[in-house]
Amino acid sequence: MDFTDTVALITGSSRGIGRATALRFAGAGAGVVINYRQTGGRSERQARELADEISRQGRRATVVQADIGVREDLERLFAAVEAEYQRLDFLILNAARAPFKPVEAMLEREWRQLVETNFIGQVLCLRAALPLLEKSGGKAVYVSSLGSRFYLPAYPLGAMKAAMEAMVRHWAESVRGRGVNLNAVCGGIVRTDSFKVLRQFWDGLESLPEELLLEPDELAEVILFLCTPAARGIRGQTIVVDRGLSNRFH
Amino acid sequence: MQNIISQAKILEVVRQATADTLRVDVAQVRPECSFVQNLGLESLDFLDINYRLEQAFGLKMARHFYLEHVEDMFGEGKAIDERGRLTAAAIQLIRIRYGDQNLPQLADGLEMEQVPALITVQSIVDVVSGILDTMPERCACGASAWKTEDGTHIVCGACGARAPLTNGDDLTRSWLAQVQAEHRLF
Repeated sequence: MDFTDTVALITGSSRGIGRATALRFAGAGAGVVINYRQTGGRSERQARELADEISRQGRRATVVQADIGVREDLERLFAAVEAEYQRLDFLILNAARAPFKPVEAMLEREWRQLVETNFIGQVLCLRAALPLLEKSGGKAVYVSSLGSRFYLPAYPLGAMKAAMEAMVRHWAESVRGRGVNLNAVCGGIVRTDSFKVLRQFWDGLESLPEELLLEPDELAEVILFLCTPAARGIRGQTIVVDRGLSNRFH
Repeated sequence: MQNIISQAKILEVVRQATADTLRVDVAQVRPECSFVQNLGLESLDFLDINYRLEQAFGLKMARHFYLEHVEDMFGEGKAIDERGRLTAAAIQLIRIRYGDQNLPQLADGLEMEQVPALITVQSIVDVVSGILDTMPERCACGASAWKTEDGTHIVCGACGARAPLTNGDDLTRSWLAQVQAEHRLF
């Protein structure tokens, strides 16, 4: 596939699935906007290293710090996209931020933060991107996880993933006729930094057979596919990419 | 009781775990380094370091920060106010935990997001040491013959059982209950 002259914005792309997705889009020829939240830390360093790596491949890459849970940051993010590229073809909603805690132990403040970033922030990000996506006939893909449909210990984020899968379905229909398409991918257990955390809360996670553990790139390839013309018949759907983990009862 | 693993060994393992997580040279990880300010650690990195330490020493680090335990035990808003700033009681608690001399930046109105910057490599060494210190005088087999295996795991010299250690969250909660009984902060 050839994405030359297109632009992809991938939220939360300094590492893990976001990083793999940015590399896939760049590999297909797209200019890439790399986003991270926390300044002065590892994310910023890794985001810049990723941009350098993409630049060395002869592709354009721009790094923008923004917390998608903060409206002013979102405005700045999309202003940067417009200023740098004057277009947006693909929006990949990958950023997430949540505590790892049993739901009964969550404080009110933590619930509000959870919803603010992982639901309202995502919706506002979609809303801000819509005019640009409409111009380019673009596509958005939301990155969900199996927490949307199964209980995972200390993973309140799963409830937001479920809400966003529903939201993708709603948006896909609402914007039908405006040339924009939306879908989601629902990842299984992916070897990312979050996996390193989950293994502390989920006894037995590390004893899962290797064959059931995804590499970030396996999800990135499906995200990329959903942005190709070949996926034009898929609208408002959530595609499960989990190596069959959710088929099993044991 | 005083555990049988040297502070130097604990420091060595903490430095290595940090370097492995951050993929930096271990020489950069000095005891006085702030994880956030000097090493650029983020929240997920802390948990990764904890995991590595758990594997290395056979213990369970706290899953939650002690200020989170405060709110769980004494009520929401007791440690962090609605604007995300530490309460006076929380500041006093931090002073009790670390001592004033080490924390010149600790002042009223400190934001919660700035708190992880107070955590140094040495303070994690102290946390590990505190958990290891919960080893009992005697093993369940009756022997008092603890020894180290691989330099980092404490096992019974008589029966080979691992030393039972209190997990980090329980240790934190027990410390908080003790502080509350003494100081009535919350």
